Amino acid sequence: MNGVIKRYRVMAYAAGVMSLLLWFVELPVVYLLDNPDLASQVKWIPFVHGYVYAFYVLAAIHFTARARFTIKRMILFILAGTLPVASFIAERKVMREFPLA
Amino acid sequence: MKKLGVGLVVLALCGTFIRLGFWQLDRAADLKELQKPYVEQPVVPLTDIAQPSANLSDQAINRIVTMSGRYVLQLDAPGQKDKNGKVETWLVGVLEVDGGGAILVVRSNKSAELPKGDVEIEGRLLVRQFEDRSAKSESNLSRLDPSLLVGMYDLPIFDGYVVAMREKVDGAELVLPRVKVDPARPSVPGYYWQHISYVVIWWLMALVVVFLPFYGRKRRSEIKGAA
Repeated sequence: MNGVIKRYRVMAYAAGVMSLLLWFVELPVVYLLDNPDLASQVKWIPFVHGYVYAFYVLAAIHFTARARFTIKRMILFILAGTLPVASFIAERKVMREFPLA
Repeated sequence: MKKLGVGLVVLALCGTFIRLGFWQLDRAADLKELQKPYVEQPVVPLTDIAQPSANLSDQAINRIVTMSGRYVLQLDAPGQKDKNGKVETWLVGVLEVDGGGAILVVRSNKSAELPKGDVEIEGRLLVRQFEDRSAKSESNLSRLDPSLLVGMYDLPIFDGYVVAMREKVDGAELVLPRVKVDPARPSVPGYYWQHISYVVIWWLMALVVVFLPFYGRKRRSEIKGAA
């Protein structure tokens, strides 16, 4: 179980950081600033976020299934990767419930 | 009955996610298509592909057209960007086309007199602009849009505008600095690999939806077994 939790934690941090970059760097640069040079420098963010989220979903399903969570909780864990700080909150909850051995 | 309801919900969600995946796949394909160089089509007379008071067809946009007629009006269009992104004021003539109707013609990015006499033009036909590039005033066109001529000019007007590449007045070539523009391309927001990543996510979600009922059943049977 420790390995599953570690994988989930890593992906929760990665998805959280990428969500923060997407919401507070890429989206404002593209939609609020008229600066094509800057926009081209942050264009890697949305697609890295896309792939990181896909791996986050797999890690979240693996962890919640092993932890025998309800379907509702599993869905909430999957959705936590879409909001900037939700995956950090989910990761903290996991650490409280499943302290690593 | 409950199983049927769950099955229908799973089918509906799964179908929706698969469809969303295909939608992102189409956008990725559109982006790839846009990266290909524009293939120039043969030059055609304007009246072969467009009519006054009718919307431009997709096939007419970007075509290099020829036309002849007489200029009746000249206006400035400030705040226009050329292919290099340089903002300048364009000189725009209203040409009364032989055979009927009038069309906006971007003549130059420098001031010039309005030619008198018969004019022959070759230029690229572009779709009208929808957003203002400058403040509205009587002597200026705030955007290149034939609807702004309503009230100034009575005859029917062609949709779109032509960026002149060549002008001949009474058979003699008129030498003017010309505006350089790229063919208009539809824009698709985002990047190719970004859309592909969304395809992966939507189809992964479809798999998750299929997996959840099995997971729920397994979990229930484990709880029953433990009890």
